[in-house]
Amino acid sequence: MNKALMKAVKEYLVLLLVLGLVLITAVIEPKFITSGNMTNIMRQFGPLIMVAMGMTFVIIGGYIDLSVAGIMSLVAVVTLSLIDPIGQVGAIFVGLLIGAAAGFLNSLVITRSGAMTQAEGLFISYGMSVLYGGTALLYTGGVTNHLSYIESNYSLFTLIGSGTVGIFSVSFIIFLFLLLILYIFQNFTYTGRAICLTGGNKTAANLTGINVNRTIIIIWTISGFMAGVSSIVLFSRVTTASPVLGKGFELNAILAVVVGGTSLKGGKGSVARTVLGAMLVILLSNSMNLLGVTVYMQNVMKGLLLILAIWLDNLKGRR
Amino acid sequence: MANKENDIILTMTGVVKTFPGVKALDDVSIQVRRGSVHGIVGENGAGKSTLMKILSGVYTKDKGTIIFDGETIETTTPHQAMQRGLSIIYQELNLVNTMTAGENIYLGRFSEVNGMKGTHQKAREALDRIGSDIDTWTLVQDLSVSRKQMVEIAKALSFDSKLIIMDEPSSSLTQDEMKALAKIINQLRSEGISVIYISHKLDEIFDFCDTVTVMRDGKVIDTRPVEEFTRMDMISMMVGRSIEKEFPERPRKVSTPLMEVEGIKTKKLHDISFTLNKGEILGLVGLVGAGRTEIVRALFGADKIKAGTIKLDGEVVAIRNPRDAMKRGISFVPEDRKQQGLILPFSVENNISIATLKNLYKFGILDKNKERQIAEKHIKTLKIKTPTARTAVESLSGGNQQKCIIGRWMEIQPRILIMDEPTRGIDVGAKYEIYLLMKDIVENGGSVILISSELPEVLNMSNRVLTVCDGRINGEFDPEKASVDEIMAKALGVSVEGAMA
Repeated sequence: MNKALMKAVKEYLVLLLVLGLVLITAVIEPKFITSGNMTNIMRQFGPLIMVAMGMTFVIIGGYIDLSVAGIMSLVAVVTLSLIDPIGQVGAIFVGLLIGAAAGFLNSLVITRSGAMTQAEGLFISYGMSVLYGGTALLYTGGVTNHLSYIESNYSLFTLIGSGTVGIFSVSFIIFLFLLLILYIFQNFTYTGRAICLTGGNKTAANLTGINVNRTIIIIWTISGFMAGVSSIVLFSRVTTASPVLGKGFELNAILAVVVGGTSLKGGKGSVARTVLGAMLVILLSNSMNLLGVTVYMQNVMKGLLLILAIWLDNLKGRR
Repeated sequence: MANKENDIILTMTGVVKTFPGVKALDDVSIQVRRGSVHGIVGENGAGKSTLMKILSGVYTKDKGTIIFDGETIETTTPHQAMQRGLSIIYQELNLVNTMTAGENIYLGRFSEVNGMKGTHQKAREALDRIGSDIDTWTLVQDLSVSRKQMVEIAKALSFDSKLIIMDEPSSSLTQDEMKALAKIINQLRSEGISVIYISHKLDEIFDFCDTVTVMRDGKVIDTRPVEEFTRMDMISMMVGRSIEKEFPERPRKVSTPLMEVEGIKTKKLHDISFTLNKGEILGLVGLVGAGRTEIVRALFGADKIKAGTIKLDGEVVAIRNPRDAMKRGISFVPEDRKQQGLILPFSVENNISIATLKNLYKFGILDKNKERQIAEKHIKTLKIKTPTARTAVESLSGGNQQKCIIGRWMEIQPRILIMDEPTRGIDVGAKYEIYLLMKDIVENGGSVILISSELPEVLNMSNRVLTVCDGRINGEFDPEKASVDEIMAKALGVSVEGAMA
């Protein structure tokens, strides 16, 4: 009986933490539950959760993707610069393509170089992140561009950034749509299972006929694509495309994934739970903001949370 | 002091250890004499490893007393145990690959021996004591498994060990390396050091041990001087029922050629050519690293083939990766179950369905019922002991894990089943079942390629034996006519080629 309770607590710890956090903050700081703050949370939630959902697949597959920061920056500056020459639909299309292509390039470097370990993948993706981020700076000369300077029609970006359908923001609807697709992909398709098996043991997966290289290409491409989506959603909201837009997103995304209960050891995890993890990360920073906790202190808390989540994961693995 | 002959180094009395739901050790009492080699045999799960882990301080006993070298031991840690003079050499050796042999021997104790110079000097002495010529400056990663083991033994000696426990020391040693180990064990015995020797291989038990304890289901069944055991009653005690023989009747169904391999070259193989017939069990014999595994890996598409052809039914086929091989009905049970065969955190059913997983999707959606049915079918026919199909495969015993891998391949109805060390670390009962399975496959028109370091297994099961040496096939034998010595000499490359040329 006691054991079952312990198991449930471990399993739903994140959810409990989210609830606890909401309650405590709501009691101490009534501003927390105002509709203005809720909209604010919903908007912040979008970009992070999208990167984190993509990251979930990479982590389940046994890697960690640090390149999302660079990809986000690159996609933002290129997309914005293309609105005038090729129109807004074309710009979004090219932006998403760049995201996916960057992820694909990561996977090519990884499979071609034979980087089978998590650590190798981590450092390759870090290198790629510097490369993409550097390209973004080169492309713009370091200048931040504003949506309002664009001469042609950019209504789509306004819609993505601040539009609503009923009580939901458009970015939230985009998120729901992507969650549905990725959830089905993960839980019902062959490739979804292949990703888990590959993350569980690459050698054994290869020797039982799973195309490991193909799986690796797919996870990194998904992550790159999702970083692209996130980038467009984010710069639409803030209406500026800075060449360092994605900075810090990689860590927050990893935090969301791990807090959500996906194991850094690979093989196990779920996009749905990553959503919970991201929620906790966002609520944590939102409530700390409202409570007047400094940014420095917030970083300390985030670091602690990441370590706590990894620790808990290790406890789960032990028998 | 008591008379040397009766001097006891280790006494365990009434040791009990319970894990949730299992009594791993039930009132175990064993005495080990100074300067004797004490064998412990038993099937997987008999409690041997638990016992060793209690001695070394990995687990704590629930009840009972342990007296080591006259001192009652309540709790201990692995480090304390070593300092008391009790060392364990595990099956998976515990060495730092990127450090030298000498550094490994004195790892963590450099200051006690005056730094690097003293380390290598002392390590040399320890190695000399067991008559090993390993250079203390060699990196451990460059040593063969048997030489690594010698480094471990030297390390144990450097602690002034009075008792050395060897857990399955021979599982990856070749016949020749075994002889070296035997010599070392005799040396230890003559110096008054006791050895607890845990093994599945009864030949070794009879060769090395003075006294043997048989364990089953966490209990000691019997302890006797080795002369008072016969092979068959030892096996019967281990499995708890009488066993008539170790190997089934050799299958005799060899017919026409199925696979012809011509001039295969890879990084490690030179010009490999042979034929595998329908209904044949073909044995590959050779030293670890001689190229046995590399041959089958090439056939299965796991290693890149640089030159040569593979023909199936007389037609040249391209095998570039394991998927190509599987499409042709080739399946592969790899030597390292845990690293290469199983996806450990996953369930039994996931591990069984994996080879045919793609076929279980209808309109892109997994048919979970069908997956379950497939798993249940193989659990039943192969008698896999598991609580449910959803149990994590890592919690199963070695033999049952191996059966999961075999079940996975049965599902693709293989024409060729490649088995690399299929019975390593598996108990007697499960071994016999795996032999029967091999027989069953060839009797139904399939073929088996069997790699094993256990010569009796290859000689009793195969229809034909090829010896592999230095990346080449250098001999072919009829196992019913050839002698063990003849085959081993060829595999070691010590032939009379000079005289023939």
